[in-house]
Amino acid sequence: MNPNTQQTTGEHLLLIRGTHWNSSLSPAELQRVMTDFYGWVEDLRSKGILRGAQPLMEEGKLVSGPQSLVTDGIFAESKEAIAGYFLLSVASTDEAVKLAQACPILAHGAQVEVRPIADLCRPMADVKAAQS
Amino acid sequence: MSRPGERSPSLVADDLFRREGARLVASLAAHLGTHRLQLAEDVVQEALVRALQTWPYRGIPENPAAWLTQAAKNLALDSLRREQTWQRKEAQITAEQERWLTRDEERAHEHELSDDTLRMLFVCFHPQLSVEAQLALALRTVCGLSPAEIGAAFLVSEAAIAKRLVRTRQLIRDLRLPFAVPPDGELPQRLDGVLGALYLLFNEGYKASSGDRLVREELCREAIRLTRLLSVHPVTSQPATKALLALMCLNAARLRTRVSATGEIVRLQHQDRSQWDAGRIQEGILALGAASTGDVISAYHLEAGIAACHCLAESDATTDWSRILDLYDQLQLLKPTPIVAMNRSVALARVRGPREGLAALESIPNRHSLEAQHLYHAIRASFIAKLGHPAEARAAWQRAAELAQCDAEREFLQGQSRKHDG
Repeated sequence: MNPNTQQTTGEHLLLIRGTHWNSSLSPAELQRVMTDFYGWVEDLRSKGILRGAQPLMEEGKLVSGPQSLVTDGIFAESKEAIAGYFLLSVASTDEAVKLAQACPILAHGAQVEVRPIADLCRPMADVKAAQS
Repeated sequence: MSRPGERSPSLVADDLFRREGARLVASLAAHLGTHRLQLAEDVVQEALVRALQTWPYRGIPENPAAWLTQAAKNLALDSLRREQTWQRKEAQITAEQERWLTRDEERAHEHELSDDTLRMLFVCFHPQLSVEAQLALALRTVCGLSPAEIGAAFLVSEAAIAKRLVRTRQLIRDLRLPFAVPPDGELPQRLDGVLGALYLLFNEGYKASSGDRLVREELCREAIRLTRLLSVHPVTSQPATKALLALMCLNAARLRTRVSATGEIVRLQHQDRSQWDAGRIQEGILALGAASTGDVISAYHLEAGIAACHCLAESDATTDWSRILDLYDQLQLLKPTPIVAMNRSVALARVRGPREGLAALESIPNRHSLEAQHLYHAIRASFIAKLGHPAEARAAWQRAAELAQCDAEREFLQGQSRKHDG
């Protein structure tokens, strides 16, 4: 298998992991976090690289297996549950990582997963490579 | 779908969460009952967290306050529907609650005291609650401070404050305290209680002897804010309310100059008067003017009058001490406490000399409570020093230093003691 058959599109997805906020934060403290977080988003926007962003509900379904089994998933309980995403038009992963490092909610226990967007999914890329 | 960053964060007031949070807690408690105060607080907290989880991605909503209100109401509705007894036992009440929870609400103006918040204040400062409970609850529900912040202000652990809050909510539930403005007959007395508690809150922030400085300033600001709201609400805008507002503003104007950059206490006569907060002084003087109606003079009127004399004097030398003494004479009739008598002795000494000041100080009835305070000995020392008895003065400064509660005070008093060495 040729690992080079997958190409990046020049975009990165930042997945925000961690939906649990310290519930003992006072409203003033929550607002400070909000202001910082929002400031970070503003910065992405002013650089013209923010392509889209959405938060995710904590509830959801997990569909799996040949029986298409539907379960509730463990999204709300998991510390690593995905809380939302930011899609950035940034080609360099180093650059995307730098932006992620500046995300102020890291200080509150959130994680940011940085993933380059691929033009094709891996199996499709393999099929394409085999054909050529 | 709105794009992220459509509204800049500066469009949202810095204190939106706190103000809206407190307003919402009062509003929810008003409609759900004081026995559900905990639920009201929980859903408001959750609504703020949800805003934090949504707004950065989606942009700040057109009307953030309405968004928070809706989120909190939805969460409350969900929670009530989960309560099994809810629909069975209290069908009638719950129908009304459900109507309210699902209804759009007209927004109150930001700088207006909503009637619900006013009721909340009367619940917090109910005479059946202890003073500690009153202050903790008011700071939590009306001012939106966290247990950690409240603990920092009173030098008590976060856990102790949290426990105090739980007990207080439980007590409100057990006593079935009504979520209401007291009826006309009870109002004057109950308002007195609310004003007294707010003054206490202010003084907790004002005193330089304990707690974190920033949090203490916050207490002063909150006390002023709530008193200001009461002073414009038709039910509570009594002369005494305005006089208390005047008193707080005039004292707060001098808050920053009482401690030097190096953390030392600066006595009134040495403070840099150009650094006093002119805006606060103006608000205080205006409030005092507005308070001068009716035929009742409260202690707040007199104390504000004294503070005004200090604030309006260009220097220590040009301070109108005879007017201050006159006000203290009146105050002593209204509030015959050892503290008032002690402060009066300072004014007396300025008008008629240290000998009379000392005689008055040493003849205060029940002064043993004063003798445990550093201030009594510091004042006594300054009188004795002026009368030319350095050794005796030094001993009194030393005694004062021993009793001082904070380092800044102690250092100041030890410095005074050393000045009179040899």
